[in-house]
Amino acid sequence: MNRIREVLKNQQFILVLALAVMVAFFSIKNPVFFSIPVFGNILSDWAPVVLMAVGETYVIMSGGIDLSVGSTVGLSGVAAAFVMRSMTTAGQNQNFTILVGTFIAMGVGLLIGLVNAFLITKARMVPFVATLATLGAARGLCIVTTGGGPIGEGPEKAISYSVPWFGPLNTPGIIIIVIVAICGLFMHKAKLGRYTYAIGSNSFAARSAGINVKLHLAKIYVLSGVLSGLAGMYLYIRLGSGSPSSGASGELMAIAAVVIGGASLSGGVGRMSGTVLGSLILTTVTSGLIIIGVAPNWNQVVVAVLIAGAVFIQGFRTWTKD
Amino acid sequence: MSNSTTPLYEVRNIGKQYGSVVALDGVNFKIHAGEVIGLVGDNGAGKSTLVKALSGAHQPSSGEILLEGKPVVWKSPHDALEAGIETLYQDSGLAPDLSVSANVFLGREKVVSGILGKLGFLSQKQMDKEAHEDLERVGIAVPASNRSVSQLSGGQRQAVAIGRAVSWARKVIILDEPTNHLGARQAAEVLQIIKRAKERGLGVVFISHTLPHVLQVTDRIVVLRLGRVVADAPTSTFDAEKLLGTITGLIETK
Ligand SMILES: Nc1ncnc2c1ncn2[C@@H]1O[C@H](COP(=O)(O)OP(=O)(O)O)[C@@H](O)[C@H]1O
Ligand SMILES: [Mg+2]
Repeated sequence: MNRIREVLKNQQFILVLALAVMVAFFSIKNPVFFSIPVFGNILSDWAPVVLMAVGETYVIMSGGIDLSVGSTVGLSGVAAAFVMRSMTTAGQNQNFTILVGTFIAMGVGLLIGLVNAFLITKARMVPFVATLATLGAARGLCIVTTGGGPIGEGPEKAISYSVPWFGPLNTPGIIIIVIVAICGLFMHKAKLGRYTYAIGSNSFAARSAGINVKLHLAKIYVLSGVLSGLAGMYLYIRLGSGSPSSGASGELMAIAAVVIGGASLSGGVGRMSGTVLGSLILTTVTSGLIIIGVAPNWNQVVVAVLIAGAVFIQGFRTWTKD
Repeated sequence: MSNSTTPLYEVRNIGKQYGSVVALDGVNFKIHAGEVIGLVGDNGAGKSTLVKALSGAHQPSSGEILLEGKPVVWKSPHDALEAGIETLYQDSGLAPDLSVSANVFLGREKVVSGILGKLGFLSQKQMDKEAHEDLERVGIAVPASNRSVSQLSGGQRQAVAIGRAVSWARKVIILDEPTNHLGARQAAEVLQIIKRAKERGLGVVFISHTLPHVLQVTDRIVVLRLGRVVADAPTSTFDAEKLLGTITGLIETK
């Protein structure tokens, strides 16, 4: 019993084990799975999910929730696509156009993050409701502005950036890994994360310790928005166009990744490495099921089982605490 | 330097309403440097509400707060902390998921030097070490600095919370029922800590239901009843019976 308890206490160990078992299972079922192109594909699916999930980790650690991340991916990709289309028509340099597009996407994310921050800290809405509103509004704007179809005719070079060159990784993927690492360091080694945990753990204590809780929460929702904006740009580069439906249900993937990573939805408990592994497990399962020929509809069921498993283990850990 | 006739901390005519509930009604009291004030009263008398006004957690509906004779307005606890006023809240001011040292340094973290420090990167080792020393200095048997507070017993948590407040206080320290949930030995330690804080020249506001503790450690006692001050006199003028009578209203004072 003590052994089991010790092992179950190490969330990271369980996650790595789960991932290894999955890779082994899929590879045995279909050897094609164990290859650089397939890993490259998994990492391409993973990159936007982990961006959303990293922002979501900050939000969930603070005791909140951000339901708008998926819609932010959509709207930021669409906005970037419009701008890049005009710039391309005007004959602008392609790399410059892509750079501007990236900043537009991040800017849209920042704006949505600011709206969330305003609704939560100034209008005193609960995060669930505030971000549900921005989820709807952002997705609605995607449809209204595009008429429902993808926005292309941007820089042709964009899609070339999605070609892997460093093993299974492409340039945006490498950049995203660096960003995730930096966000992890800020979470666990800097004031940003310390205050996030403090607020999620006991917001009264945080406030009475002199922390500006509202300002800090605003930063977190803005961070979440900007990271989702980057994910929107990433999907543009991957598809070569901005689709109004991109990032759909992204919030579910992000939240699932955080929960599978061992975080508590009530805040204060969890680690960034858990989120990274959680998102990797999710995208590995999704790709793996397709490769071994399971109907895609099973995907959601498997994700649900993973979440239930994670929550069960978490409950077990709390239960055995004393 | 403030001279001895100017109170260190003073509230004048403080009122606080929660909707239709009048929690504080024209409360006045003063505290001098090196003085321990006992703030007592029945449950619901308004003690915690007064503490929150003194510490900036709430803004009073009316009245004035003066620090060293100058009017001050606390927009948040941050302002009061900056001014040297530390508070231990009754409803625990610790973040259970953080470590002991993270709690001791919460809001006042030490950062590493250079650009990383500007970005807020923490000097964790330094804080672990100093938290340990700070707690020891105020006379608290310290659990390991890097343990999570959720793993501590109620008494240990309380000790950390008191240590945190005492080690940071520069002018005033407010302790809302610090001996609650403590055993006799731990409670005695807390009273020692209060005496040492007084010797350091701090003004101490000590709130407690344990009247012998109040009589033992305070210089003056302020009794609240239903949001009003019904007695404010040197501790030497009270005995246990009179104090209890004043709190319950069996002895009329005004
Ligand atoms: N947040 C609040 N909302 C509404 N009423 C409150 C609140 N806090 C305290 N009160 C009321 O104010 C009065 C004083 O409470 P409190 O200051 O906690 O008393 P004490 O600490 O002396 O027991 C009580 O009647 C209590 O019910
Ligand atoms: Mg109280």
